Amino acid sequence: MLDRTLAPDVNEIQEVKFVYPTSIELNEHVSLFWMKDVPNETSRIDFYFDAGTIRAKSLISSLTAGLIFSGTQSKDSTTFHNLLDDAGAYYDAGVSHENAVVSFYSLNDQLLSIFKIFEEAMNNVIFPQAEIDEILNERKQKFLVSLEKVGVISQREFQKLIFQNSDYARHANLEDFDRVSRAEIIDFFEQFYRNGLTKIVVVGSIESNAMEYIVNQSKKWCIQNKPKFETKFSNKPIKLNVEKQDALQSAVRIGKILFNKNHEDYISFSILNTILGDYFGSRLMKNIREDKGYTYGIGSYVSELNNTGYLIIATEVGKDFRDNTIDEVRKEIEKLQTELVEEAELDLVRNYLLGQILKSADGPYAMTDLFIGVSHYNLTLEFYNKYIQKVQTITPLEIRDLAIKHLNWDSFSIVTAG
Amino acid sequence: MIQFERFELENGLKVLFHKDTTTPMAVVNVLYDVGARDESEEQTGFAHLFEHLMFGGSVNIPDFDSALQRAGGENNAFTSNDITNYYDVVPANNLDTALWLESDRMLSLAFTEKSLEVQRQVVVEEFKQRYLNQPYGDVWLLLRPLAYKVHPYKWATIGKEISHIENATMEDVRSFFKRFYCPSNAILCVAGNFDLDFVKQRVSYWFESIPSAKKPPRILPSEPIQNEFRELQVERSVPSDAFYYAFKMGERKSEMYYVADLLSDALGREKSSRLYLTLKKEKQLVSEITCYILGSLDEGLLVITGKLNEGVDFEKLDNELWTCLKQITNTEIDDSELDRLKIKVRTAKEFQEQGILNRAMNLCYFELLGDANGVNEEKYIYQAITSKMLRDTAKHILRKENCSLLKIKSKRDA
Repeated sequence: MLDRTLAPDVNEIQEVKFVYPTSIELNEHVSLFWMKDVPNETSRIDFYFDAGTIRAKSLISSLTAGLIFSGTQSKDSTTFHNLLDDAGAYYDAGVSHENAVVSFYSLNDQLLSIFKIFEEAMNNVIFPQAEIDEILNERKQKFLVSLEKVGVISQREFQKLIFQNSDYARHANLEDFDRVSRAEIIDFFEQFYRNGLTKIVVVGSIESNAMEYIVNQSKKWCIQNKPKFETKFSNKPIKLNVEKQDALQSAVRIGKILFNKNHEDYISFSILNTILGDYFGSRLMKNIREDKGYTYGIGSYVSELNNTGYLIIATEVGKDFRDNTIDEVRKEIEKLQTELVEEAELDLVRNYLLGQILKSADGPYAMTDLFIGVSHYNLTLEFYNKYIQKVQTITPLEIRDLAIKHLNWDSFSIVTAG
Repeated sequence: MIQFERFELENGLKVLFHKDTTTPMAVVNVLYDVGARDESEEQTGFAHLFEHLMFGGSVNIPDFDSALQRAGGENNAFTSNDITNYYDVVPANNLDTALWLESDRMLSLAFTEKSLEVQRQVVVEEFKQRYLNQPYGDVWLLLRPLAYKVHPYKWATIGKEISHIENATMEDVRSFFKRFYCPSNAILCVAGNFDLDFVKQRVSYWFESIPSAKKPPRILPSEPIQNEFRELQVERSVPSDAFYYAFKMGERKSEMYYVADLLSDALGREKSSRLYLTLKKEKQLVSEITCYILGSLDEGLLVITGKLNEGVDFEKLDNELWTCLKQITNTEIDDSELDRLKIKVRTAKEFQEQGILNRAMNLCYFELLGDANGVNEEKYIYQAITSKMLRDTAKHILRKENCSLLKIKSKRDA
């Protein structure tokens, strides 16, 4: 007779297979990583440039990324977009603090022709003023819309606080849209794109002569000196509230400067952070959403940078629940510092994290991203074996001590908006 | 090509199996043939509220999520106007845990008063976060009742108003479950590196003892043919004026659906599309413009939406937009433009087939449409579309008396 009250036995994960992409050196600082074994016709190519927001005054980095196909002497932007669409390409150019990444998604037999379109734009783009004006107008409208969102307001202010006195704190303001010059964009492109390529990542079953062409033609864009990034961040904890009349919800951001994968506590901390707020059954979700119903969702994340990282706890809650929410977050953190995690909960988190690792290594795209996630910090896939080992062996005592060491409530900046 | 096998249990549960030898993961996807269109107009938002409650515990399992997490898995769900879809992703050797959980929740639910109270509150916060506390967030709460007068598509999945959620009682929720959550109203897909016999055996083990029930009949009021232009203008404190032209189009199973999808790409999907080139680049009337279709099972909508540049009024845009639309209804597009649209669709479809979760969901969805193999046939339907079909469909859809227009006027320039 079927007894539904008994859970089926849980089987342990046998092994996780990690696969390295092929690595091709373009110069001593720049490599192309290629995951060839893809069992279908899809492909992706990503170009990483040292062209993040920290490299220039406000807006220049994001505008430049949006203008790569703005036109050359012989082809206007519409011609470029027609060519890309004729090849069935989807493309995306995004910027973060430290990188600009230009990505193309296409069928694998189109990848070479897409590269050639990109190559032509890279080598010859002239940034026509009319195109700059058009994108400025478009971005300005989007900027104004985004400032109506409490999530965006709180995120901006949070980053300004934790990165104070550094280039990482830079954010666009409305008046910046009137202060952009074409010359700045041209200079930025010359320095950080044409001479700023830091990495290429290819996923797809591509002909080797196509790959050879891509390798050879990309070399001239490679960065010549290893890019430098700030190492010192002050992290003075500050509390700030931004009033937004007529908002129905308040956005809350709580966090601090922390570290990245190169820190000895990173792996253990990410286990602690999972328990706190990084999965659906986390303590913050259980308390703030599933017990109190204050929010649709709350999470706690570690975001990494080249030389550091930061912790951020983020949620949007009903306006009346704002102060209670902050108080409950504090209580959950204090609980982690004073009480040992029970074996049942820790056991669940161990299994959940191992399942996540298995999933993150599933398929060529996921596996490539997993690899990039460590190679960016000069680590190998051995990192994940260490991670698995730590997940299996970490003790409740270690977790408590780590909470005491890194989650001191007085060290947090707290921003609310709404 | 997505390979699959199909079998059915005696209680009426339809089961699909997709074998993938390359993955260490398994997916269990359960699609219930119930969405917001099945709600009564006095109790909207139920299908979605219900989806939240389905995680509050089932008859033999007090905590759904943690049982799955302990097995290294995770799960989630979504509700649309047409369907409710639950999915679990687990390491393949823990497939049984996912089947155990999904079968128990099909058998009977058992959430508490407290869980109902909390999820009502969570959904109210979701309502605020997504629809009320965002610029332009309430557009679909306005546009749906403008475009649909009778059909239940006139309310959004989240519900017509917050009070419907706030007033939901235990009894309401129980009767909703009884009516819609039974084997004959569900499609299950198992995907992973298994053999068919094994999957049959495990699925039967967990699901065959669930009592059968008649599939609930669906009698929806059909939307009368629209034959007048509808227009609504509201003021909101948003930065720029926005417009939403919604045209009625064919239901999901009709050929017109696919043609309209390609037509929407031609009009406003990419930077090579017609509305983008004419209204944004050339005439500089808008800061953004796109065209897309809703993809609903019953009569759907093709939507053209964008934001006006400063100093441009709705009337100017309206004139130029209709001129553009006339062009595509009067002249067939040439082969190079058609080829461009088709290769984009082909690329998109190839990427959508990545990963077993996508494949399992798609198989269930196409089985609901009539045949899971439709997922493999769809690309041929797109590739067979001709310029003439596009023009005919454009003529049929892009008419003023088939259009509902919502204008959001920025309060700042009032």
